[in-house]
Amino acid sequence: MSEAEIKPHAGAVKFTMLLSGLVFVLMMALGLIMRAAQGEFIELDPALFYQILTAHGAGMVGVAGLSGAAIMWYFVGRYVQLSAAMYWAFLGLFLLGVVLILSAIFLGEFGGAWTFLFPLPAIAGGAWEPWAAATFILGYVSIGVGFLLYYLAIGYPVIKRYGGLARALGWHVVFAGADPADGPPPTIIAAAAVTVFNTLGTVVGAAVLVASLVHLLVPGFAVDALLAKNAIYFFGHVFINASIYMAVIAVYEIVPEYTGRPWKSSRPFIIAWSAILLFVMAVYPHHLQQDVVMPGWILVMGQVVSYLNGVPLLAVTAFSLGVYLHGSKARWDLGLSLLVLGVGGWSIGAIPAIIDGMLVVNKVMHNTQWVPGHFHIYLLLGEVAMSFGFMAWLVRKGQASEAGMSTLDKATFGTYLVGAAGFTMVFLISGALSVPRRWAVHLPGWILQDRIGTLFAALVVLSTLALVLKYAVGLGRGQRS
Amino acid sequence: MTRTLFAVLSAVLFSGCVVFRGELEADPVTHMLLQLPALALAGVLLLLATDLRFVKLPAYFANAITLVAVFAVFFWMLPRYIDASLINPFVEFAKFLTLPTLVGASLALAWRQAHPFLRGFLKANAISMLGVLGFLYIHAPLRICNSYLVSDQQRLGYGFLIAAIAVSLAWTFPLFFPSPSETGASQSKTNKVTV
Ligand code: HEM
Ligand SMILES: [Cu+2]
Repeated sequence: MSEAEIKPHAGAVKFTMLLSGLVFVLMMALGLIMRAAQGEFIELDPALFYQILTAHGAGMVGVAGLSGAAIMWYFVGRYVQLSAAMYWAFLGLFLLGVVLILSAIFLGEFGGAWTFLFPLPAIAGGAWEPWAAATFILGYVSIGVGFLLYYLAIGYPVIKRYGGLARALGWHVVFAGADPADGPPPTIIAAAAVTVFNTLGTVVGAAVLVASLVHLLVPGFAVDALLAKNAIYFFGHVFINASIYMAVIAVYEIVPEYTGRPWKSSRPFIIAWSAILLFVMAVYPHHLQQDVVMPGWILVMGQVVSYLNGVPLLAVTAFSLGVYLHGSKARWDLGLSLLVLGVGGWSIGAIPAIIDGMLVVNKVMHNTQWVPGHFHIYLLLGEVAMSFGFMAWLVRKGQASEAGMSTLDKATFGTYLVGAAGFTMVFLISGALSVPRRWAVHLPGWILQDRIGTLFAALVVLSTLALVLKYAVGLGRGQRS
Repeated sequence: MTRTLFAVLSAVLFSGCVVFRGELEADPVTHMLLQLPALALAGVLLLLATDLRFVKLPAYFANAITLVAVFAVFFWMLPRYIDASLINPFVEFAKFLTLPTLVGASLALAWRQAHPFLRGFLKANAISMLGVLGFLYIHAPLRICNSYLVSDQQRLGYGFLIAAIAVSLAWTFPLFFPSPSETGASQSKTNKVTV
């Protein structure tokens, strides 16, 4: 088939992004409710708080994965012919999973957090029935199968077209001395790496999900708690990071439209992505630093790889972005601003994450709000910013290079930036002051920070709502013209 | 020439499974992980010895036959039928009949022509099934088969686990470094049978 026939599935992706935008706002509203409850602006039954915490965690991680997957689908679709049927199957299984998860939480009162850490789902102390936990887990399984189909649908044509995953990752350039010009485009390199590690993550996740499910139904089947924890955090870390690594493809593909300089698959770029492939899987033990029964070397590896993990990201994506933008005549509009913010927030968020990945620090900070502090930075100011940047670009008027930023755009962007920066900073400060995370009820001494955090969070919700509305209006306009 | 070889190998494998029935079935590990795959392999070789190997199936038919094989595998993964095959000659006969035909020959006939997504999905599924079976047999709080001991059962569990790891390595490596024939065929719609 000729190159010209290959076109992204714009309709399906636009629809998915609309869905994602709406879910982002809805889940943010749940976050706002939790923060307001901690600050005693409102009263919330603690049991309900934990259900909302579960819905917010699972919902946000899921929709980050969904929006990242839609972005990657769109741009991989520029290079290979993808199967639309597989995409709809993926989306269908994803939505089925959402229905199951929401039923488990709000009908079954499941409140065991998105990490479903063994044996909490089974030992609920009467807070929920085993069927609720089982329904929650089945929802995850459905989403997992959906993602498996998704990566199959991406991996197969990429392998065919580029001659195997090794070549799609650009290894022939780095190891066999081929000319970088013969290497695959950045999108394909990133897609191949994510396909490998997130498929592995999903498989490991599926294994522990099935084991937990069996344990729920037949409690005699014990699960090794430490093994389960390892598996869950391997899956959890890989999955949420995959969402960002998929979304960053939007930066590689869209920024060149503004700068006029194509994003190149240089040798450092290829090496960085192969390093990411390894690090993202080797770094998960930083979640287990409180588990003193873990072999020491694994915990040390978690710390060391945490340091290394930041290098490919900072050195290659953030630095290159700076170089590409510097001195170019890019006209800034909402899309470009959000994409650049996304890379910036992702890089900055990595710093407190690396700090927390150090054993001596983790001893003190592990269960404090320092943790939601750092991951809200690289999710809110990273993945979410990139997703909305992609959405703004999808509905831009005219050529990317001609666009500009209206006053409304500027106000929206500024509010989002200030709100998200303030909201996450308050989490970090509270964490540094040892305020625990995942507590429904806070001590009087913490309430002031909670209230300031709530106000910033309200700014985020408002500006995100504006971003979704602008996107929806843009879609409507595009339909008519 | 190769055909005769396939036919002979098939006959040898099949009769080996019959003759050494007692020995193979005495231990669940050799029963499940040696005899059953060997019977299926005998079916594969038998089909390759005939002209059926060149038959071009309609796409839906290839998918359907592949699924028949998968369900036959599922059936023989159920402990109660494995147990039954040891005491009920009728079930034992069914096992010797269906594994070569429904599993082995079906796969040899249809696998290559089945949709690539179906094949990928089934491979992923097979790996996780092996993993889950490993988990179940290692952790089962009770004796599942009347004919085998709990310790046998646990050894079988580790056997499944090792099989899962081996199979995933064997299937993943070619994704990184496929043979040129596999990717070169990408443009032509018809996948040639190359066994
Ligand atoms: C307006 C925006 C948001 C607000 C107000 C908000 C609020 C919160 C609050 C209050 C918590 C619980 C903190 C604690 O443990 O004390 C939380 C946890 C969490 N949030 Fe957010 N959040 C927002 C956006 C996001 C986004 C965009 C994501 C991901 C894409 C996200 C993912 C999570 C996760 C994974 C947790 C951990 C849940 C757990 O501990 O089980 N949040 N959020
Ligand atoms: Cu992590």
